[in-house]
Amino acid sequence: MIDLMIAFALYLVVSLSLNLEAGFAGVPNFGKVMFVAAGAVVAGSVSGRLAAFILGVNTHGNYNGFIAQIITQLDSSLSGNAVLSIEILLLGVLLAAAIGASLGFLTSYPAIRLREDYLGMLLLASAQLFQIFLGGYEPLIGGTQGIEVPNLFGWAGNGIEVRDVVVLGFLALFAGLVYFYAERVARSPLGRTLRAVRDNEVAARALGKDDVAIRRNVIIIASAISAMAGALLTFYVGAVNAESWTRITWTFWIWVMLIIGGAANNAGVALGAFSFTFLFKVVDQVKFYFQGSIPFDVNWLEYLMFASLLILILAFRPGGILPEKSSVTLPWRTVAEIMGPKSKARSSSGPQFGTPERAKGDPDEPSSAPTT
Amino acid sequence: MAVGLTLTYLTTKVPNFAYGSFVTIGGYTSFSVFRINHVNPYFAVPLAFLLGAVVSVAMYLGVLRTLARRGSSLVALMISTLAIDIAFVGIFGIYSDYIGSYYRIENTKNFFRLLADFSLFGLPGLFYVTPISLATITIALFLFLTRTKFGVAMRASVENPSLARVLGIDVERAYIFAWFLAGGFAATAGSFSVLWLQGGTTFGSGLIVEIFAASVLGGLASVYGAALGGLIIGATEILLTQTGIAVFGSWISIYQKGFPLLIMVITLLLFPRGLVSINWHRIIRPIAVFVGLIGNRLGEIFRFVRGE
Repeated sequence: MIDLMIAFALYLVVSLSLNLEAGFAGVPNFGKVMFVAAGAVVAGSVSGRLAAFILGVNTHGNYNGFIAQIITQLDSSLSGNAVLSIEILLLGVLLAAAIGASLGFLTSYPAIRLREDYLGMLLLASAQLFQIFLGGYEPLIGGTQGIEVPNLFGWAGNGIEVRDVVVLGFLALFAGLVYFYAERVARSPLGRTLRAVRDNEVAARALGKDDVAIRRNVIIIASAISAMAGALLTFYVGAVNAESWTRITWTFWIWVMLIIGGAANNAGVALGAFSFTFLFKVVDQVKFYFQGSIPFDVNWLEYLMFASLLILILAFRPGGILPEKSSVTLPWRTVAEIMGPKSKARSSSGPQFGTPERAKGDPDEPSSAPTT
Repeated sequence: MAVGLTLTYLTTKVPNFAYGSFVTIGGYTSFSVFRINHVNPYFAVPLAFLLGAVVSVAMYLGVLRTLARRGSSLVALMISTLAIDIAFVGIFGIYSDYIGSYYRIENTKNFFRLLADFSLFGLPGLFYVTPISLATITIALFLFLTRTKFGVAMRASVENPSLARVLGIDVERAYIFAWFLAGGFAATAGSFSVLWLQGGTTFGSGLIVEIFAASVLGGLASVYGAALGGLIIGATEILLTQTGIAVFGSWISIYQKGFPLLIMVITLLLFPRGLVSINWHRIIRPIAVFVGLIGNRLGEIFRFVRGE
């Protein structure tokens, strides 16, 4: 149950960040795994070294070579020192966010220049390359072998359940914050601007919105959030290796959640993440009952199942379970009052609004209404 | 391979992320034919072509066309091809588990190259067969597209569907045939490649970097460009890696795939429509002029030195 909640919280965070990018800003990020993995890498390679440096553990100049020995020493010192553990945890997460943000900044360079299909290819290929790099470059996280990460929740008690609850507390707080932030963005003028940029770039630019900067910022923020999620996952699992960061686990599954739930709707994405995690868990529980009776691994069926589910949803309910809501707008009368009698007279001549909800929806720029 | 990807991109305007899996289909056809039926894998090539082609058409008709007719966006179509790729991973997993347990074959998920090649003049047969078949395919495709009526109709419907439709061409049939060819090419490539490289459930999807790089370099809108791009990417990857190993040591071979990606990034950022879009006259003429100027100057210097 607790691991279900933990998985849900993590998936929720990453899918919300994807929702910011793909749902609201229209940047199809097919390389999500790259950003999550970047966070995990930071957590895996930096935090252990940092802890070793602070606690004065001898690394013999070769951290990965003596990893088992070092981690044992670190764990025993850290389990008695809650404050330091949390400090290292927060530092690791912040650093992951910084790395994620800079990676996002790099990504935004092609992202604001290329069309969706080219960008999709580029990101997919880069993520693939990133994984190859992680697998090949051993000093970072030990390649495909992976390395252990110091247990930063050791102070919470030895019982594995207790530790899980504490981790869940952290993750729930984090996921709640991200959800709150995403919801704030969605309901703010910024959210409407994002949709405007997504739906009609030229019109948004004509209304004085800097679409390039907006897209770039969204990518940076979303990447930072995903990197933080990756770092937290690594601290929770206590180990990291390159094999677990594949196109399937952290790009495709996230897209499944987004599509099931409903893009550009945070509640929908949360629902999608939950249903996905829940389904996954159920399949996990059930599959052992008929594992013996079929001549192959049931995991493969999982792939097939979610792939077909995704295609079915795309075909029959493209908006997801909870489709995107149109923006809440002010009543036309209120807008007219704000704008004063002069513009009322002008607009009464012919209310020809192609996209009324966007034009009227931005109360901070009433002058845009008659220009549409 | 890149030729096929370009063909499918031209028809549906969607990058087919599942394309690598068709390579895997070919690989597994060879594998099964060799390990189960103990027949030389070269005989599996036509079978692989057919299988890949049929699956490709099924994918087009069953998923992409259905979704496109329901008005799905470009991103939705891209995700659906990604979903198909994942489904393929599942199918290959099931298949490899199944033949592994049923026929008692080991290493069905990751197999080394099949030792079935004949040798001719001390070189493996593949060294003769692959270039010949590549040349045959390219020439056949070229002749088909330029000399036959259906080929011309296909090019027309790919380049300008509405105009082709006005002229009474069955655009839909042409598209289906394009997907048929594309799947077939990929599977053929896959069935050859397991003779030389190691294969497995995901070896095709791993190739996606090279395939996309080749297509993008050639320009996604040109079949000939894709063939050129494939040649360039393949050659540079091998050459640069060999050079890299010689210069920096063997660790660089891990990053072999970085080179195609780098080429792809540069292509996308500098000339996103690919090599065929470059106006070569505009590049070559200044270079020629420049070379001419330098030559002139050199001549002057030479004459000056000789004291004329």
